[in-house]
Amino acid sequence: MTLKLYGRLQSTNTQRVILILKEKKIPYELVEVEFGQNNQPERLQFQPFAEIPYIDDDGFILYESRAIARYLVAAYPEHGPTLVPPPSAGLRAQALFEQALSVEAFNFYPTVSSILMERLFKPFIGQTPDEAEIATLTEKLDARLAGYERVLSKSKYLAGDEVTLADLFHIPLLTLFGLGQIDDFTNDEKVKKWPSVARWANELVQRGSVQA
Amino acid sequence: MPFKIYGFPPSTCTRRVALVCKELNVPYELIPVSIPKGEHKAPEYLKRQPFGVVPAIDDDGFTMFESRPVARYLVAKYGKGSTLVPDPKDIIATAKFEQAVSVENNHFDEPAGELFLQLVIKPMRGLPKDEERVKTLLATLNSKLDVYEMVLAKQPYLGGDILTLADLFHLPWLYGLTEKAKLDLVTSRPNVARWYQEISSRPAWQAVKDGA
Repeated sequence: MTLKLYGRLQSTNTQRVILILKEKKIPYELVEVEFGQNNQPERLQFQPFAEIPYIDDDGFILYESRAIARYLVAAYPEHGPTLVPPPSAGLRAQALFEQALSVEAFNFYPTVSSILMERLFKPFIGQTPDEAEIATLTEKLDARLAGYERVLSKSKYLAGDEVTLADLFHIPLLTLFGLGQIDDFTNDEKVKKWPSVARWANELVQRGSVQA
Repeated sequence: MPFKIYGFPPSTCTRRVALVCKELNVPYELIPVSIPKGEHKAPEYLKRQPFGVVPAIDDDGFTMFESRPVARYLVAKYGKGSTLVPDPKDIIATAKFEQAVSVENNHFDEPAGELFLQLVIKPMRGLPKDEERVKTLLATLNSKLDVYEMVLAKQPYLGGDILTLADLFHLPWLYGLTEKAKLDLVTSRPNVARWYQEISSRPAWQAVKDGA
């Protein structure tokens, strides 16, 4: 039975899973959950937080896009690139990989998704972006990018010299920086502050667009 | 050489690492990094933790940061026979564990942390509470805990039948919100209450709950 992905193409969390499915060349079927339909009983029984995406892999249900991605890598080891350190790489490599995943989850995703919520989602539902809030969030993001620069000036990717899930998880939001008017990697003055991050970000967006 | 935690004893994330050290009987040396004095932003500390937050660790020369990855590293290195992280060979148990960890990250940590800031930290610093924000955060956290109540009605722990790091990661904020902010988050939720009572009464947590 082909793996079923319940989600929406416009959802960045669904895109995160699609990205990994495509990287790993795992066949799947996208079951479209329309906007506003997440809390239907037949959905809630599988994803009790009324969110998307979730998967049904031959009867095994799983939600949370990053948990799904980790499951896909573990369950389909022969498909495509490994995207995680192999066991032979040892404890420390594994720890640095977990560290990089945590950096994305806590130092990138919440702040960037809040900015995009203001700039893109609010207008979509007829509300006005809160510019003061955006200014605060932008300051926060810039401080985090300084942290990213400290890491990426020493290694090619977040967990070392090989690309991993930790880097790829950034792609759905990075791809929206233009539309979301986040100019950290297009404004020359800003790029001077974090050239390694800009190099890394642009490479990832390219990689994501090739997979699309 | 003892495991070193560079941290601030009352800090949530520092206590999260100390908790797992206690669970695994790993002795540690806490090297203070004073948040009030801004030591977490000093250039020397930024070499350990590029994002300028606590904690960072040094295990016989191996340095890393992010409290939850550190916890996983502790289990991998010192937790022989520990079930706090499932065996990676058990793909399904691991996936359910990762789903639970992701739930704590995405659904619990942010509203819980910001509520603690509004209700405990701000008054401590003589700053005014943002009543509107508190109302929104309480509504969010309560709706999440309603889902926890449903999940914990069907299984004893968030990852399934066995206590894991996914459950323990909740302790610093839940303790802070129930004991310091005096919020009643559990009495109306018998399954959450049962689960919280069990995890919070563990000796490891009792040892570090008021300071690592």
